[in-house]
Amino acid sequence: MIKKTFIAISALIISALAPAYAQETSEAAQNVQSIVERASAAAYYQGETGRANIHMSILDAQGRERTRNFVILRTDIDNVDNGEQRFYVLFSRPADINKTAFLVWKHADTNDDRWLYLPALDLLKRIAPSDERTSFVGSHFFYEDVSGRGPNEDDHILEEETDTYYVVNSTPKDPNGVEFASYKNWIHKATFIPVKTEYYDASGEIYRTYTATAVETIDGHPTVIESKMADIRIGGETKMSYSDVVYDLDLPEDIFTERYLRNPPRRYLRK
Amino acid sequence: MNSITLSAVSRPALYMWAAAVFSFFMIALVAAPSLAPNAFPFLQPLKIDTDPENMLAADEPVRIFHNKMKAEFTLHDLIVVGVINEAHEEGVFNTDTLADIYALAEFAETIRWQAESADSEPEQRGVIAFDIIAPSTVDSIEQAGLGSVRFDWLLPAPPESDAEALAVRARAQRIPTLNDTLVSGDGTAIALYIPITSKDVSFRVAKALRGKIAEFDGDAVFHITGLPVAQDQFGVEMFKQMAISAPAAMALIFALMWLFFRRLNLIISPMVVAMVSVIGTMGLLVATGHTVHIMSSMIPIFIMPIAVLDAVHILSDFYDRYPAIKDRRKTLDHVMKELWQPMFYTTLTTCTGFASLAFTPIPPVQVFGVFVAIGVFFAWIFTVTLVPAYIMLMPERAFSGFGMGAKGGGDHETTPLARFLHSVGNLAVTRSKLVVSIFLIALAIAGYGVTQIRINDNPVKWFNADHEIRVADRALNERFGGTYMAYLTLSAAEDDSVGAMADEIDQRLGELETSASQSLANEARERRISASSADDLLATLRASAESAQDKAITDDDWYAWDDALLALDAAAQSRDIFKRPDVLRYIENFQQYLDETGLVGKSNAVTDIVKTVHRDLFLGEEEAFRIPDTPEAVAQTFITFQNSPRPQDLFKLVTPDYRKAVIWLQLTSGDNIDMSALIEAVDAYIAENPPPQALSHDWFGLTYINVVWQQRMVAGMARAFLGSFVIVLILMTLLFRSFAWGLLSMAPLTVTIGVIYGAIGLIGKDYDMPVAVLSSLSLGLAIDYAIHFSARSRQLYREIGDWTKTAIAAFGEPARAIFRNVIVIGVGFMPLLFAPLVPYQTVGVFISAILILAGAATLLGLPALITIFQKFLFPKRSTS
Repeated sequence: MIKKTFIAISALIISALAPAYAQETSEAAQNVQSIVERASAAAYYQGETGRANIHMSILDAQGRERTRNFVILRTDIDNVDNGEQRFYVLFSRPADINKTAFLVWKHADTNDDRWLYLPALDLLKRIAPSDERTSFVGSHFFYEDVSGRGPNEDDHILEEETDTYYVVNSTPKDPNGVEFASYKNWIHKATFIPVKTEYYDASGEIYRTYTATAVETIDGHPTVIESKMADIRIGGETKMSYSDVVYDLDLPEDIFTERYLRNPPRRYLRK
Repeated sequence: MNSITLSAVSRPALYMWAAAVFSFFMIALVAAPSLAPNAFPFLQPLKIDTDPENMLAADEPVRIFHNKMKAEFTLHDLIVVGVINEAHEEGVFNTDTLADIYALAEFAETIRWQAESADSEPEQRGVIAFDIIAPSTVDSIEQAGLGSVRFDWLLPAPPESDAEALAVRARAQRIPTLNDTLVSGDGTAIALYIPITSKDVSFRVAKALRGKIAEFDGDAVFHITGLPVAQDQFGVEMFKQMAISAPAAMALIFALMWLFFRRLNLIISPMVVAMVSVIGTMGLLVATGHTVHIMSSMIPIFIMPIAVLDAVHILSDFYDRYPAIKDRRKTLDHVMKELWQPMFYTTLTTCTGFASLAFTPIPPVQVFGVFVAIGVFFAWIFTVTLVPAYIMLMPERAFSGFGMGAKGGGDHETTPLARFLHSVGNLAVTRSKLVVSIFLIALAIAGYGVTQIRINDNPVKWFNADHEIRVADRALNERFGGTYMAYLTLSAAEDDSVGAMADEIDQRLGELETSASQSLANEARERRISASSADDLLATLRASAESAQDKAITDDDWYAWDDALLALDAAAQSRDIFKRPDVLRYIENFQQYLDETGLVGKSNAVTDIVKTVHRDLFLGEEEAFRIPDTPEAVAQTFITFQNSPRPQDLFKLVTPDYRKAVIWLQLTSGDNIDMSALIEAVDAYIAENPPPQALSHDWFGLTYINVVWQQRMVAGMARAFLGSFVIVLILMTLLFRSFAWGLLSMAPLTVTIGVIYGAIGLIGKDYDMPVAVLSSLSLGLAIDYAIHFSARSRQLYREIGDWTKTAIAAFGEPARAIFRNVIVIGVGFMPLLFAPLVPYQTVGVFISAILILAGAATLLGLPALITIFQKFLFPKRSTS
């Protein structure tokens, strides 16, 4: 009862101060937008190019494990943060999906282009640009978690600032394209690495949580080398462990083309 | 007079009060914890159990396996919402209905709440939103122009035009796992499958769904069904039955007794006996923590006739004797002396019949048998105390003008009833051979009938044909692949043999022909003896190859070791047998066979996912709708599928280690006979067509569990019946101190049971759960009449010394008591015909039939047999 009354009074005060408050928020909004952009850059755009070996361990609700090993090659077009990017993902394990490959052309403002190569069927397929929030090879991560969500796709509010973190609450500009109602990001103030993300459904309940569990500075870049995604709807979690992370290697842009899906560029893939 | 009765007659008021206190105590014992569970945590509240699974004990291997498989394949209990639109020519595929369906699925996702229990962790209950099968929540893989493939929801948003609505249908019908499951085979209806956290939330979920459906104003009809809903309905109907049918039966019995005895206040006593016995038994049942199950809910119906039976004997005798003796105490003395032994023995035999059910392997049947036996014992105690006590409490003047023939003042053997029974007796004695021959012929025909008995059951058919559950059941099974689910698991034996793995490694490394592979192959050969398991061998080799790879300098060297490592991994994956094309093709052929049996409406297996993905990767061409040719190609269809919105669906059909698969079978009939036929067909197919890899097959799912408990029940009932038949024969021999009389007393029940079951076979009524249980009731009731008739005949014979004259006396009061019993109880159970559940109707019909047959067999067959065999039955007395 007391709590309710308090909320009601607060609401009254806030509405009385509305003009002043609105001005402040627009400033804060500008501020928060830049925080989110820097976070996106820290998470996905370190260096001009990059390579990592990834071991993915998918644990389902029953604790049964599936693993995948793959290499990710990345290049930022024109070395612009939060701009065009290309990813080349090549699987090596389990053995029966060895040489399965993904190619992603990430665009800042339109849907990404994606291709899939299945060696055992010798089949190169373009994946229709639709929902990017579907599972990445059966893991708890979505495609978008691997390639990054554009900072302009959501409205952001700086909800809280602690000694260590900016806590940013984001709501989608187009709620139809996504399964979440909002998400909250804990962005490390010193490195701008998002260390935790919580996704909320329409009833305001958390259903999905991302955590960066280990960060290391590599070639001067703070880098997440272990992360986890848990989803309580299906249960279980996926852990991604990064090794042999290298930045700014010399990656020719033409290896990020369909041609190389069939013939992996061996020399760039060995650790 | 026996000391118990004597005590009751001396202190009648005390006994009546004691019975009242006992009843109120039992009611309070159940009511208190049921109405205020928190106030009486130490007492057992009323618990309703409508789960047919509980026909088997919770620790039965078949149920443990069922639950284990449900967990392993993440299968949940489902509420099914069938949507049918007969007003629209394309059925539900129009913008309005699809918009409603879309809204309903969205709404269903929100039916969730936290468990209210305070002590444990808050637990989500209600709908498992993520696993809902609805157009908006299932995957669609399809062509998206320019040779690209699209993974998306089948119905991402409500359609804006009818053409779009029809396109949804076309997409769904192309996907084998959806066609005939989500969308009906004729393309007019849709079924939504709403998984719930546990069966006990179904009432709340169904209610919420009904509320939402009520908001729709389209032409579509929404049928809510599925097993959990059926169970809730069953609970409701069970209470209706207990609240309406059982009291109606009581009322009719009451009316009939009034017709016979014409003293309202007198016939209250059998009612009191029945009530107190039922209250005592049911109170004890609940208070001892037993659930009220379909079986135990029938206990009152079984106790009532038996409870009334002895009281009717007392009243009947009292009614006939009183006019002559004209003193209630002296009449009671006489009556109780005459009836004490037969009543005691009939109680003993009835208890035996029901208690023998304790030896069946079905827990609810055991509980039923034991508690009916307890109820019968209660009934006896109350009959021999309360009925005399009640009579004593009535003033003597209340009996003025009471009794048979009292009004006429003449011979009470001249009433129409008496004359009729005397003519029956006359017929039995004078035409004894004819009567016996007719019974023998009837038995012979019945014997043939018994061979024609069809053992079958289907819990859905326990509802009346016009019940909404049955209506929904028919509507959906006409249109879809079937709503009865059975699951068949195929699993590879645990195989961790080092030898097989070493061979596999050797072969794969041999193909590489590099120095790295050769050196690793050499190591593998050395290790195959010392390795403790295949995994151990693999781990050792992997470690050794990885360390060699780390030391590699040239790219070629590094990749040579990489290939060797890959070969090891490939060897390890040779154990993923459900990626093998030969195994998948075996399943494909097996599914085709299942379709041809006519017993399966539709089957879903991992093969359907492989074929669908493969087809849509290859431009959606029909010839690509096949299992690809290598395990790697299969694996890559799986990895492709796992990029869809619902990757977890794959593991509802195969385990992540690809060593166990499950085939979902949708059956349009839930009859056990059809499921049994399917089990046989599957066994035969697998025996004739051995799989390419040793696979064991096991069933689970409720349709299968039903068959298992039915088999147990039939075998258990047969054993229990034969056992109690022998025990009753021994009791009869002891009672009459004569094997010949013992055997004779068994004749009416043999005829009764023979003819009843023969008739079941001949008219084609399925031998189901209630029919099986009725064998004990027949045994209990049919022997009662025989005991009364034989015991009274022997008493009379001792006084008279001549059978023909004895027979005339026996067809006086004793025969009238039996006849009144037959009418009162036989007709009294007719209201059960109007019960909302079929098992109760069956029980009603058969109780009546059993009583009439047992009465006829006793009043005609017994005297006829005695006449024929009187030399053996009355050996010395007849000559002396």
